[in-house]
Amino acid sequence: MINIIDKRKYSYIFSGVLVITSITLLLVWGLKLGIDFKGGTLMEVQFSSNQALEETAENSEAENSEEFKAPTRDEIIEKLKDLNLESLNVQESENNSAVLRYIGSSEDVNEQVMEKLTEFDGSVEQTRVDFVGSSISKQLKRNAIMAVILSVLGIALYIAWAFRKVSYPIPSWQYGIAAIVALAHDITITLGIFVLLGKFMNVEVGVSFIAALLTILGYSVNDTIVVFDRIRENLIKSSKKEDFEKVVNKSINETLARSINTSLTVMIVLVAIVLFGGESVKYFSVALLIGVIFGTYSSIFVASALLVTNYRREQKVKEN
Amino acid sequence: MPISKFWNIIGDMSIQNKLRLKFGAIIVLTILAVLTAYPKTVESIPFLYNFFSKPEINLGLDLQGGYRLEYEVDTSGVDDNKKDDALQAAQDVLERKVNATGTSEALIQTVESDPPRIIVEYPGATSADDLKSKIKETPYLEFKEEKNEEEQQAEIEKYNEMFASSNEEAKNKAQEKLQEIKDGKSFGEVADEVNGDATSGGRVDDLDFVKKDSMLPELNEVIFEKGLADGETYGELVETDYGWNILYKAEERGEGDAREIHIKDISFQKQTAEMYRDYWIYKETGLTGKNLKDTAVVFTSQGLSEPQVQLKFDGEGKDLFAEITKRNVGKRVAIYLDGEIISAPTVQTEITNGEAVITGNFTVDEAKELKRRLNEGALPVPISLVSQQSVGASLGKLSLEQSLKAGVAGLIVVGIFMILYYRFLGLVAAIALFIYAAMMISIFKLSGTLSNWPITLTLSGIAGFILSVGMAVDANVLIFERIKEELKSGRGLESALNEGFRRAWPSIRDGNYSTIITSLILIWMGTGFIKGFAVILVIGVLFSMFTAIVIVKIILNFVAGKWLEKRLWLIANIKQDK
Repeated sequence: MINIIDKRKYSYIFSGVLVITSITLLLVWGLKLGIDFKGGTLMEVQFSSNQALEETAENSEAENSEEFKAPTRDEIIEKLKDLNLESLNVQESENNSAVLRYIGSSEDVNEQVMEKLTEFDGSVEQTRVDFVGSSISKQLKRNAIMAVILSVLGIALYIAWAFRKVSYPIPSWQYGIAAIVALAHDITITLGIFVLLGKFMNVEVGVSFIAALLTILGYSVNDTIVVFDRIRENLIKSSKKEDFEKVVNKSINETLARSINTSLTVMIVLVAIVLFGGESVKYFSVALLIGVIFGTYSSIFVASALLVTNYRREQKVKEN
Repeated sequence: MPISKFWNIIGDMSIQNKLRLKFGAIIVLTILAVLTAYPKTVESIPFLYNFFSKPEINLGLDLQGGYRLEYEVDTSGVDDNKKDDALQAAQDVLERKVNATGTSEALIQTVESDPPRIIVEYPGATSADDLKSKIKETPYLEFKEEKNEEEQQAEIEKYNEMFASSNEEAKNKAQEKLQEIKDGKSFGEVADEVNGDATSGGRVDDLDFVKKDSMLPELNEVIFEKGLADGETYGELVETDYGWNILYKAEERGEGDAREIHIKDISFQKQTAEMYRDYWIYKETGLTGKNLKDTAVVFTSQGLSEPQVQLKFDGEGKDLFAEITKRNVGKRVAIYLDGEIISAPTVQTEITNGEAVITGNFTVDEAKELKRRLNEGALPVPISLVSQQSVGASLGKLSLEQSLKAGVAGLIVVGIFMILYYRFLGLVAAIALFIYAAMMISIFKLSGTLSNWPITLTLSGIAGFILSVGMAVDANVLIFERIKEELKSGRGLESALNEGFRRAWPSIRDGNYSTIITSLILIWMGTGFIKGFAVILVIGVLFSMFTAIVIVKIILNFVAGKWLEKRLWLIANIKQDK
């Protein structure tokens, strides 16, 4: 049996550092919000693609004046300067395509942008135009916040209810608190990592990110509940004199194989989505992956450890 | 055979036979699910293939390409109790519009919010321009009547108050220019200045030779009564209803009735409520484009034959129009098209036949075009496009392929993992997982035929599905770990199996509740991406519990027996005495 509970000091330090760093990142840089929450336009365009020809063109410089080379990011920005697009952002992506983002969402503006781009390449194609008006983005933001609050509330109530019969040796609400702390821990770290992804890899968070967060909520609690269930069962089985600490540690060990295996299977499918699932669901899965990893970790090293810490503190209070 | 008898027979069966029946049911279920999910397995048997290949998965926009347009409906001008009607009418009009473009799959729904919105989903389309322009040209037709005296008076006061300061400014400007002339500049010089300066607010007119009494009385009096000399500028500003004028007499000719004076004029405009009469005089009548039944192009019978657009109202519209015309005899009723007055005829008499004509100096083509637009439906309320999402068809196909690949890869690797770790139990779980996948795909396909809630599979839905595969395994992992524990503690195989299922159940249940709670909240929040994900996650969680608990248990009970009891290494490393 691995004595996990004894080493809780290290996990507290590890988690503490990660959580504080994440909060700092959130406050200093903040998440990079996508058009879902900010309003604005996202336009993906595809220029003529002839990569193979391009390579030969490089060898035989300028022989074929018809050869087409997709405009670079700077060229596009320069071209669109006259339109005075607010916070224009251009990203080149594979196969001669580019993603344009700007605040403001009117059809006229979008048409003007397309007109300008046609000047580079007559056969430029719009592969995607999304735009979200400000009234919608405000509503989405409100809904997202509501959803997170409601989920946390719903889960907290559920845990308090599920553990209502377990009141030894610590009151049932403390299980709830421990589960919620673990959950907050997972969410905060996921947010922190996405601040970094936004800062350095231009990953924007939209409605799908909120869906991922809420799924992490569900998963994290699911994982914690399984461990707590085992603790509950072992407490009922054990003679009441058995050390609480030992019961918790035993329960963690008994559920360890399950925790790791379940996380592994979920991680396997998530990695499959990240690798093969295409661009649109990639970061959705990355968010889930981060959440699952920390969700598994926290149910063992944070939630269960917290139960023992709380128990110890109460014992001390009693002794004094 | 009555159902109760059927259950009696089952009740009387031995445990062994019951188990056989259950196992048989699972095999039938599996075969049906596999055939529905992948009809190609029976491609060589045409009648089966035809039967099973009928249901298809309803793919979302992001997987087959297409557009999603969101329109905001401005119901601010409509009475509260009529808002729903107006919204419904607007939705009907859009539906007709969309159908006119030839896609019946387009989905149109209204979203209750403030302001309300109408969402048009248009799958399979390569471009939304056609649809958007069709919707954009949808006329917004409205009939308005004049406000009553009191209301008019209030508007006049409001407007005049609004114009007071700008009028004062115009007057001062005019005074200034007149002063310049008095101070020695010529009229021509000042006129050029005014003309050259677009911001001056003044305008210069050469009125040419005018006859007596052909002008506004204020101007007439100065021009003909004040005895100006040729080349003289009148020394005071002349105020009319329209502004302040500086008058200049160039020359004069003729005598008596033939007397004509050549006048030039610098004027600074006055703004009065009267000038903006059309903007404030009319109020809503409740009669809008939604009450149109039919439109036709007709020609006036008198004089030059001019094209007109004739409107025929439906029952409600007929009554409304009769009331409106009755109370407005001698007054004007304005017909607004897309927020602008196109004609405002004076009502001669009450019209009870529910017909009206729009005359608007149309050419024949214009009249025909308007008729077509109106016939395709006129909106009772203005709408505007507030959000658009689009996915190119090729991108959609790519996403579908990629996510299918991800799903298959995920399933295979999870299956291999389970077999390696849990050996025989894992094999059963892998088979159950396979059945689970086939069942889920069947549900996607059958949801539209068997229920009123067709599931639209989107990219996020596939993500939810794949995630649920991972979670489906969780229940089995919990159970198998328990079974292994029970075996290790020395229980016999059969009781270990039963005990494993029994004791793992609370954890499975509690854990899945939390996922269901969050998913339900997501569905409630529900738009697009999130909803698709959550709906499938909930269905996935429910069915995964079914496969992991019911199906796996039946299979294990059926196949486990003495042979397995002797080979417990197939389940875990357990020391066996024999």
